Amino acid sequence: MSVILAWAILGLAAVFLALTAAIVVGKTRRESRESHDRARRRLLEPRILAYAQAGEGSIRGALGRELRPRDLRVVEAVLLDHAQRVRGSAFERLARALDELGCVDRYIAALRSARSWRRAWAAEQLGIAGARRAVPDLARALGDAMTDVRMRAAKSLGLLGGAASARALVAALDEPSRFSSIRIADVLAGMGRGVADEVIAVYPSLGPAGRLAALDVVGRLRALDAVPWLVDRLADPAPDARSRAAHALGAIGDPRAVAPLVGALEDAEWPVRAMAAKALGRIGAVEAIPVLCRRMGDQAWWVRSNAAHALGAMGDDGVAALEESLDSSDRYLRAQAVVVLEERGVVDRRVGGLVSPDAETRHAAATFLRRLAAAGGTARLAAIAGGAPDLTLRERLAALLPTPAEGGP
Amino acid sequence: MFTTPRILVADDDPVTLRFLVALLRREGFEVLDAEDGQRAIELARAHRPDLVVTDLLMPYRDGYEVLRALREDEALRSTPVIVLSMKDREEDIVRGFTEGAVDWVVKPFQPRELLARIRARLERQGAPPCR
Repeated sequence: MSVILAWAILGLAAVFLALTAAIVVGKTRRESRESHDRARRRLLEPRILAYAQAGEGSIRGALGRELRPRDLRVVEAVLLDHAQRVRGSAFERLARALDELGCVDRYIAALRSARSWRRAWAAEQLGIAGARRAVPDLARALGDAMTDVRMRAAKSLGLLGGAASARALVAALDEPSRFSSIRIADVLAGMGRGVADEVIAVYPSLGPAGRLAALDVVGRLRALDAVPWLVDRLADPAPDARSRAAHALGAIGDPRAVAPLVGALEDAEWPVRAMAAKALGRIGAVEAIPVLCRRMGDQAWWVRSNAAHALGAMGDDGVAALEESLDSSDRYLRAQAVVVLEERGVVDRRVGGLVSPDAETRHAAATFLRRLAAAGGTARLAAIAGGAPDLTLRERLAALLPTPAEGGP
Repeated sequence: MFTTPRILVADDDPVTLRFLVALLRREGFEVLDAEDGQRAIELARAHRPDLVVTDLLMPYRDGYEVLRALREDEALRSTPVIVLSMKDREEDIVRGFTEGAVDWVVKPFQPRELLARIRARLERQGAPPCR
């Protein structure tokens, strides 16, 4: 029995020693390789930088006989490090060097790897390496089964830019995953206004979700040239598309969209009316003030709210319209006007006018606050009256507020 | 008699720092390099560079503090400082110019553009622009 135990202990010790030896050897080899790489990097990096800053010549020519087969990973690392930090002609030189050394071919081949992490890595490297000839391969990677691969391919296509990249990305807006679709839209929005033409060209072939994402992208790009196309989308049979088109027109802020957006305020679907109201506020379309005032009485709360906020965003003219609305017979309309006047600080400013040395200002403030109180806007007034350090102000405010017997607070 | 313009570059990213040093030396400038803001201020006080290129996000003292320290130093007040940063928000840029920057280049940068800006600034300062 004791012999078996002794053999077992010896066996375990042998396994432990073998593991320890393997770890030590592995670590030594890794440190030795890293030390070698650091030394080679110190030698090669200045030559690579001189190559990047020169106007002509090849990377192999620049490195000359110094380039050993084992140096390839060092040179690749240096090229990729610097490629992420520069643009323009220096970047083009670094990208050309990576292609010349066969790195781009290796990344493209790795896109077909059975291991998903390797495909994701390759997709990312191709973007950093500025490998424009890999656009078709990256476009195919947008259909990869793994989300990580698709997203890295999308990011790389965004870095590479160009019409072909944009077209592939727009087509990928049809992604079944909403999260992925948002990420791709982010990439497209970062590619600049030139992308808008590609979005418009691919739009008819997209499914419903892709179309909505595409409309968002055009809005985020603030593409002035796309305004007539977006105006046409306000007549789309799909209410979601009409609503997103209105939102995009608001984001662009072009006054040419005002009349079509005013028309969209009459849309049968409330989300379209709500977005049209919001867009008119973002454009600052003062000519739309009367129709926005009417929409403050819309049957849908979002439309009422967006119309009131749009008026609040239109400066003095919009605020004046909101003040007028305090006398409306429509209680929903009055309530929206009160909310926005409070939110935009108009009420607080007018309360200050109650203690102005100027009699006209005091009278105007009192008149406004009476109308506000009559419209139901007493909550903010009561809060100010309760906390104001100025006794005169408290007294004047209290006189404006309805007493509890009158149904006040 | 012309002297070689002396440029101080400050960046905590060693890869960018090496690139900038190689770029400027290749163009014939005398280059001082600092990997943090504190070192940049010390080098500036000790060597009085003709121009400073600084990052913003650096350990110990950030780029804004470098700008402030140079502006508060009588001998360095007129030294032009170009900010080289990933930051491109309006408020950051406005703050940089308010603190004394004369130019702003966003990373990733175009080396030839940066060189052109440096040369233009040095010429305005009356220093020889090298090559």
